[in-house]
Amino acid sequence: MSRFNKSLCWFAALLLVVSACKEPEQEIFSGLTPEEVSNSDNPALIDVLKASAYQRIIGNWGGHGSLWSMQEIASDEMIIAQKGGDWFDGGLWLRMHRHQYNAQDGAIESGWNYCYTAIGDINLLLQQYPDVDALNAELRVLRALVYLWLIDSYGNVPIILETDTDPTPDTNSRQEVYDFIESSVLDNIASLTTDDTKTTLNQWSARMILAKLYLNAEIYTGTAQWSAAKTQIDMIVNNGPFSLESNFFAPFATNNSGSSENILTLPYDQNNAGGFNLAQMTGHYLTQFTFDLQEQPWNGYASLEEFYNAYEDADTRKNGFLEGPQYSSSGERLMDSSAEPDDPDGPALTFTPEINELEPNSFRQAGVRVGKFEIQSGAGQSLSNDWPLFRYGDLLLMKAEVEWKLGNDAAALDAINQVRTRAGVAALTTVDADILLAERGREMFAEGYRRSDLIRFGKYNEAWWEKEASDEFRNIFPIPQGQLDVNNGLTQNTGY
Amino acid sequence: MKKFLLILLVLSVGFQGALMAQTRTVTGVVTGGDDGLGIPRVNITVKGTTRGQATDFDGNYSIEVSSGETLVYSFVGYVSQEILVGNQTTINVVLQPDYGQLDEVVVVGYGSQEKKEITSSVVSVKPEDFNKGNVSNPTQLLAGKVAGLSVTRPGGDPNGGFNIRLRGVSTFGANSSPLIVLDGVPGADLSNVDPNDIASIDVLKDGSAAAIYGARGSSGVILITTTKAGSEQGVTDISFGSFMSIDNKVLNKMEVLSADEFVSRGGTDFGSDTDWMDVITQTGLSYSTNASVSGSFGGTSYRASVNWRKNNGIIKGVDNERLNTRLNLNHSAIDDRLRLNVNLSLTNGEYNRKNNQLFRYAMIYNPTAPVYASDRLEQVGPYFQRDLFDFYNPEAIRKQQLFGGTSKTFLTTYRAEFDILENLTVSAQYTQDRFTGLNGEYYSRKDLQTGFGNRGIAQRTTDDRFTQIVTGTLNYSTTLSDDLNMTLLGGLEQQTRTYEGFGTRVRQFLFDEFTWNNLGAGAIRLGNQTNIYSYKSRDILNSAFFRANFNFQGAYFLSASVRSESFSGFGENEKTGYFPAISAGAELTEIADLGPVNSLKLRASYGITGALPPDSDLALPIFENGGRIDLDGDVTTTDDTYVAPSQQQNPNPELKWETKKEFNVGFDFALFDSKITGTVDYYQRNVEDLLFPITVPVGAPNPFDPGNFNTATTTWVNLADLKSGGFEFAASFNGVNLGPVMWTPSVNFTIYDKTQIESLSVTDGLGFEFIRPGGSAPGSPGQNDNATIENRVGSTLGNFWGPRLLSIDENGVWTLSAEIDEIDQFEIIGNGLPKGDFGWNNSFMYGNWDFSFFLRGSFGHDLFNSFRDFYENQDTGSNTWNSVVTDKTEYITSSPQFNDTHIEDATFIRLDNLQLGYNIPTRSEYLSNLRVYVAAQNVFTITNYTGIDPEVRWVDQEQSGDAIGAALTPGIERRDTYLPTRTFTIGFNVNIK
Repeated sequence: MSRFNKSLCWFAALLLVVSACKEPEQEIFSGLTPEEVSNSDNPALIDVLKASAYQRIIGNWGGHGSLWSMQEIASDEMIIAQKGGDWFDGGLWLRMHRHQYNAQDGAIESGWNYCYTAIGDINLLLQQYPDVDALNAELRVLRALVYLWLIDSYGNVPIILETDTDPTPDTNSRQEVYDFIESSVLDNIASLTTDDTKTTLNQWSARMILAKLYLNAEIYTGTAQWSAAKTQIDMIVNNGPFSLESNFFAPFATNNSGSSENILTLPYDQNNAGGFNLAQMTGHYLTQFTFDLQEQPWNGYASLEEFYNAYEDADTRKNGFLEGPQYSSSGERLMDSSAEPDDPDGPALTFTPEINELEPNSFRQAGVRVGKFEIQSGAGQSLSNDWPLFRYGDLLLMKAEVEWKLGNDAAALDAINQVRTRAGVAALTTVDADILLAERGREMFAEGYRRSDLIRFGKYNEAWWEKEASDEFRNIFPIPQGQLDVNNGLTQNTGY
Repeated sequence: MKKFLLILLVLSVGFQGALMAQTRTVTGVVTGGDDGLGIPRVNITVKGTTRGQATDFDGNYSIEVSSGETLVYSFVGYVSQEILVGNQTTINVVLQPDYGQLDEVVVVGYGSQEKKEITSSVVSVKPEDFNKGNVSNPTQLLAGKVAGLSVTRPGGDPNGGFNIRLRGVSTFGANSSPLIVLDGVPGADLSNVDPNDIASIDVLKDGSAAAIYGARGSSGVILITTTKAGSEQGVTDISFGSFMSIDNKVLNKMEVLSADEFVSRGGTDFGSDTDWMDVITQTGLSYSTNASVSGSFGGTSYRASVNWRKNNGIIKGVDNERLNTRLNLNHSAIDDRLRLNVNLSLTNGEYNRKNNQLFRYAMIYNPTAPVYASDRLEQVGPYFQRDLFDFYNPEAIRKQQLFGGTSKTFLTTYRAEFDILENLTVSAQYTQDRFTGLNGEYYSRKDLQTGFGNRGIAQRTTDDRFTQIVTGTLNYSTTLSDDLNMTLLGGLEQQTRTYEGFGTRVRQFLFDEFTWNNLGAGAIRLGNQTNIYSYKSRDILNSAFFRANFNFQGAYFLSASVRSESFSGFGENEKTGYFPAISAGAELTEIADLGPVNSLKLRASYGITGALPPDSDLALPIFENGGRIDLDGDVTTTDDTYVAPSQQQNPNPELKWETKKEFNVGFDFALFDSKITGTVDYYQRNVEDLLFPITVPVGAPNPFDPGNFNTATTTWVNLADLKSGGFEFAASFNGVNLGPVMWTPSVNFTIYDKTQIESLSVTDGLGFEFIRPGGSAPGSPGQNDNATIENRVGSTLGNFWGPRLLSIDENGVWTLSAEIDEIDQFEIIGNGLPKGDFGWNNSFMYGNWDFSFFLRGSFGHDLFNSFRDFYENQDTGSNTWNSVVTDKTEYITSSPQFNDTHIEDATFIRLDNLQLGYNIPTRSEYLSNLRVYVAAQNVFTITNYTGIDPEVRWVDQEQSGDAIGAALTPGIERRDTYLPTRTFTIGFNVNIK
């Protein structure tokens, strides 16, 4: 070997020694470090980050197994019937409907995770950008909105702030959560815009959070707050830019982003913000051909007969169901060649209000389906309709309820009759609790508030179809077992 | 087939050229040096030819030979002898017993050792012991051959991978298969080597042997050595071989109702009678041809080989083709002090697969439905289809969904060794290991299941893996005193792995003709069933290692090693791990005379190995792609649309390697002049700091990364402790004389002390008593939310857990011991891990004939028979779905629900391999070997299991994307299991010189 070769060898050996003895750093190519994110000078970044926090709550609200699924199936307006083996899923949705849910149920955990994932994201942003006012106020109110769901569904939950360091946060009482939501909104509302932003929080939707909180205050804390609720409601009704659409279905249309009725929406979009899968969840397999859907629907969610029959025939809102004979987009009768031999409708696909049984062998065609949200022809799994979390029609019924509670029947009738007139049904002359609850049911079907309404009106524990009377502790869901297992600061709700 | 005939033709021409030389007869007797008795069946061959004879029962022989030739006397268990004939007419030979199988050299990490010096549990397998037949994967050569090594592939999918477990389950994670070291390249892709090119496979079983591979050694190490050049100077060896196989469907044991039975049971009658399994299956033909040339000149030797394989599955349209070329080149210079070596291997692969849901649909699709129908030609034609949940014509799925692709692997290794002193050697090695895969998917516009509503979907993806390894070692051996020898090894290694790729999925085609070859013809590139992505990641592993071996009087041996590993993917607080090992042994026959025992080596070892995190970025806070944000909410303006950065995993800067501590004791023995040899081992392993994604309080502060919050529901941590053990036994009887037939039986078995979960806790408050993996649920329809497996602290890994079936009334309604939500009353009803495995090989020799058969089995494992769980029932779905017929249960009208009757004992014994070969004697001076053979694989299986394949399921096939979930749910036979096949092979090998 030449001297050159030798020294080259020694040099190579030295290089190996030096590099092999180093502790190597991990390079990141397809992601960003927190520093890279915060060092960005892109003027759109903050707006994008803020919208990203909203997307966490857009995520799974309108999908199967969501917090919304829990609200609907536990109420008297929807079921998922068991069709032989199909849709049994360990009895989860039967238990949900019969108020036998337990801490191990998957949906109980995914509802929780949905809320707290958003809270983690919000806290991370608040922690990283403490000085960006535009972000600060809005994210705190957004966090309050998530806690509004938590207080309603789970009751006693840990309040986690961006400044907290305890990795196993303790359960807070429902009263503490209530106070936290209230103060979060009150402390930050002045920093919010009054523009009709619809997809992001503004002063109007912040007041709506307060209105919902005060409306249910008696349930949440034992102390009613009817006049506080009225204050917030009136503020929106009198000063806000919202009005009833003349067409009841306009707020639920595919292109509903400009609807004057919607106060706060989750801006679903088939391409940008997926997760609104209602057409899949409710449609029969053959419904694919009614709307030329890209995917075969799952034949799950249907309404209860009694609930459907609570509509007068003249009620335009009754068109918010897929009912009766079903046709393809080209007008041919859809035929289900495998219809159960004892199904009186035979193979011609017909959604009947009557459901033969909840389990185990519900007919596959049985039950009217959710048609309130427009199903766009040719849609994929995700629909593009923006989901109205808060809308003016709801607000009017809240006003009616509050006014009635405060003894102002005339004002209550005025509010409720605006809604009824729009629906094409006769104005009421008297009002009481049953009337208010029934009207809320017809107006708010499938919007995720029925469970909460039933509880507020004291009906949640009563018996209805395929559901016996339930204990009061069922009014809040259990804390998911998976979370109890990893956080000894949590306390299970009473009764579970 | 044409190729096969052509090769036969070439061969017969070769015979014509065979020349005869002048010969005479030589006679003699062959006796043993141990007892002086004649040895029957000694092989006597004329060196360099295939001419040969065997001794008779008393050791006598006679052979035609010419004076210039050399006779070779060989017999198992004795040292071979070569004798030049010269002018002798009587040659009596005394063969000395060979005690030294023990002189065999065994490849260990970063070097080799004489077998007698090995003090840890290492098994070396040579080609003559490999499994025969249509074997396409190197590890398949070892199935059943090594105690403690399990190589399984449930079903017979030619594109399916093998699950390899050494000593059972020792980790949950992605690295649960042994580390493959190919010609000194750790982590090399197995597609780089063809089974024909393998010279030996060495299995490092215990912790002390594997510890030299540090943080990658926890699941054991398999060292594969390819055939090197090495023939005599100036001689060129050419060999080639070819075979053809036919694959048949093994009798499908899950019977379904016939069309008539189905209709009389109340099923919907579509008027035809179709056997769906027959429609989708065929007899699979496979071919393979290989050729190699090797030789040497001057200081250079070489071996070049080419291997071509084409496997056709029993599902029409499933195939796999591979062309592998390899060049091993050696050169020595400076009086052999400098040795250079280049290994190049290039493999092209091509595959087509089908949607495995075919098997499920073929089993349950309505038997009265016709294959074709004209009622919906424009929509889904020409196939019969109905719109029902999970109900698709299997033939339509087979024809209208396409999956395929190509792969290229390229492995190059350059190595230089230089003897600085006679006993001091420095070496350097550089390796590039490259894999590129290009895959495609297409769902036709008429594919009702997926493509139809989307008007056709096409996808292409490409994945590129690139590994560079630089290794330098220094070897020093010396004699410290007359009795004590010492060998030292020190080394450094740097491994850099880079993964990159991208892919696109688009939909809405006017034509099906393009399949995936023209993505531009897909009109919709955003939203449902579309995708665009690319990725890149890189990790670096820096290692230093040291090993010392001592040999005292050839009787006492000691080995100690340590490796340090610094991995870029470890958390910043835990960057370097150390993995030490020590082992010692004593050869008792060197110390005392043990009579008929001619070798007895006691061994004990202890070693610590590790496993790396499954991804290298788990320790870090990383912002990945969140949602697409349309800032103004108006989809018609796109200049304000961005993808948000979003933290989607919870970082853990404390994340480190998994640790496995393994203790092994054993002994190797040889009895009766090494007629009987064997090995016994007992081991205990404790796994600590197991890598696992645990559920965390989501939304709460991240305890590992102050200031961060849990934005995901799980965090990767070093969590659990596992404990397992086992007993391994292997023995072979080297040549039992049964008259003119010589029988060589060998047997091995393992008894596992099944993996126990010792702990599932990190700290107080972070941990669990049990994990019930959601992925263990049977699935859709209707069984999505009920886990079937519980992993509980203090119990065995992977216990089946559910209600018992108490009774079935006359209406087919069952009573279970617990309702589905009464999970407190669920019981442990089985376990998918085996209690043991065994293999029993028998080879027979008779003249030029050889015959072998190999039985293999596993015992003490249960399988969850998903077919019975879903399709034994007669519920509303059964109007359209067929039912499986079993003897275990009547038709049940209750809805399908998991219970103990679906868990079955799957103990089995299988005639796995059978071969008959004949070495054709030739007198050609050009041919050194000509062999023809027939082989059969998976001939029959004896089992009580009623499902498709009783093979052990170490992992769940439906969770292939989640290594942890898959490892936590062993023992599930899913409905999409590829049918097992029985294979018959006919082939030949020729060596020309």
